[in-house]
Amino acid sequence: MPSASERTMAAAATPGATPAARVSAPRPVGRIVQVALVLVLAAGVLSFPALAPNPYILSAGIVVLNYAVLSTSWNFVGGFTGYISLGHGALAGLGAYGTALLVTRAGLPSFVALVVAALLVAALAVPIGFAALRVRGASFVIVSIALVLILLLVFQSWSSLTGGSRGLVVPRPFPGLLRPEHHRVFYFLFAALLGLALLAWWLIDRSRFGLGLKAIREDEDKAEALGTPTFAYKLVVFVVSAGFTGLAGGLYALWFGDLDPVFQFSILTGSYMVLMALLGGVRNLFGPLVGALVVGIALEYFKVEFGDTQLHLVATGVLLALVVLFMPDGVLPAVGGLLNRLFRPAQSSIREVTAGELRDQRAAEAQEREPVDAGTTAGSGEVRP
Amino acid sequence: MTEVRSLATESLTKAFGGVVALDGATVEFRHGQVNALIGPNGSGKTTFFNCVTGMIRPDSGQTTYRGRDITRKAPHAIVRAGVGRTFQLCRVFPRMTALDNVLAAVRPAGLTGLLRGARARDEVDRARGWLTRLGIEHLADVEARNMSWGQQKLLELAGVLMGDPETVLLDEPAGGVNPALLDRIGTLVRELNAEGRTFVIVEHNMDLVMSVSDHIVVFDRGRPIAEGPPSLIRSDERVLGAYLGV
Repeated sequence: MPSASERTMAAAATPGATPAARVSAPRPVGRIVQVALVLVLAAGVLSFPALAPNPYILSAGIVVLNYAVLSTSWNFVGGFTGYISLGHGALAGLGAYGTALLVTRAGLPSFVALVVAALLVAALAVPIGFAALRVRGASFVIVSIALVLILLLVFQSWSSLTGGSRGLVVPRPFPGLLRPEHHRVFYFLFAALLGLALLAWWLIDRSRFGLGLKAIREDEDKAEALGTPTFAYKLVVFVVSAGFTGLAGGLYALWFGDLDPVFQFSILTGSYMVLMALLGGVRNLFGPLVGALVVGIALEYFKVEFGDTQLHLVATGVLLALVVLFMPDGVLPAVGGLLNRLFRPAQSSIREVTAGELRDQRAAEAQEREPVDAGTTAGSGEVRP
Repeated sequence: MTEVRSLATESLTKAFGGVVALDGATVEFRHGQVNALIGPNGSGKTTFFNCVTGMIRPDSGQTTYRGRDITRKAPHAIVRAGVGRTFQLCRVFPRMTALDNVLAAVRPAGLTGLLRGARARDEVDRARGWLTRLGIEHLADVEARNMSWGQQKLLELAGVLMGDPETVLLDEPAGGVNPALLDRIGTLVRELNAEGRTFVIVEHNMDLVMSVSDHIVVFDRGRPIAEGPPSLIRSDERVLGAYLGV
């Protein structure tokens, strides 16, 4: 029950202010703490190759970074607009095959092929987005799955071009390098790409374009009614997302050197991107990265320990269920909220209730008081003989 | 006052399955005035709003704004032409702060405008100005979902006004608000009108309609059955018939 002084304070606030005035949005952890965390994270990522005990661990690090880039790229669409695409694996696959084919068939230098392939994926995302972004919610998810399945069939059947299910070998960009050196170079290339994707996401996040996209996530029709050209916004961010996804796929092709349609055009890839972003928190710049660290490391562990079983898939499913049940906004907001409660007890004592809840609470208090008052009167009556 | 055409429709028709919501509605609102659109439930007022703002496509007919055809335009293009609206069941962005809700109505121009920070000082000042004007500036950092119904209605209006529309369409501004707030909304409409903004208000609260409007259009079964100043409408037999069934 609120103390009398609390009530007086509420009443003394701006005239006309309702109780909700005291309910402020969750405060972010201090800016300095944020910058420090980012620096620690960057130092951790960059020092990993020096600390990795063997090439296998380093290659596992590359896989995790690849997941982080993919998931961050996915989050341009998923995080800003709330459109859940399970089809981003197909865009990565297109980037991978595009890069490989431009190297093997057109004879382009590896990294030129990578950039050209990513631009092609972005260009292809225009018609794909034009069709897919017309539908919302579950329909969009299904359309995005259809994209993966169609491309899987195409790349499996068109074996004269893609090698079909026999796979496609991608020539190494640095033939002179030994395997550990090859891993080290690609580790830093993936780290650079991750940095670029994070920078782009951060720029959009703080921009008016980003605010428009978030308005679409909240209420698309309302955003449109406020003057935001919602379809154009969605399409542009989908193309940006596809470009980064294509880059990640192409870089993977150059690193791994062998492509198979079953793995390139797999719903699992898209599902991992979604899971990682949701786990870390789609509203946070580093959400997908944190999710990739957790899920990526867990996947590698399960593959090493229980390689022949499908246990890693079961574990992934359980993880997703746990996140959705207990941390619907992801790990980062949950941790942020915890830190705020630990370090700002005074402020966190401001109850985060809606005005409606507060109103009900007040009504309940008023009801409580009345019977008590009645009781006292009756009681005083009983004293008399 | 000079008669300038504001929002006008010509034989606007819309049917949902077998239900005819708009039945050849030809309406003309007056520029620079407070117009009201009244009528019994189901008479097509909200469908009319949705058609003229581009939220739904009419089956036939034409909408013009100040002489320009806006019939097939997308909602955002109609906002750019100068017509803003609120929703009957007020709509705000629940997980955004009040300030961001208002800032979301800023329409950036060009690529540099799009990539500019969303919290540019001049826009934030303007947004806070509207929050202040509507008496909810103390809620600037509160997420909209934590605000009361009345506060959300004011917030929605602040967002629409941030877009600086020449003409404002209000869908039941008095719905579910307390009498004090009702007075405030009425006063605000008159003030904003005096500053040159045109209003079209769909409303069931006759006290509000009669006190703020210059011009009233009465709808029944998807088309206008009467129009005129409040004094005339109050005594119109067809209006009484439509509302009271006599």
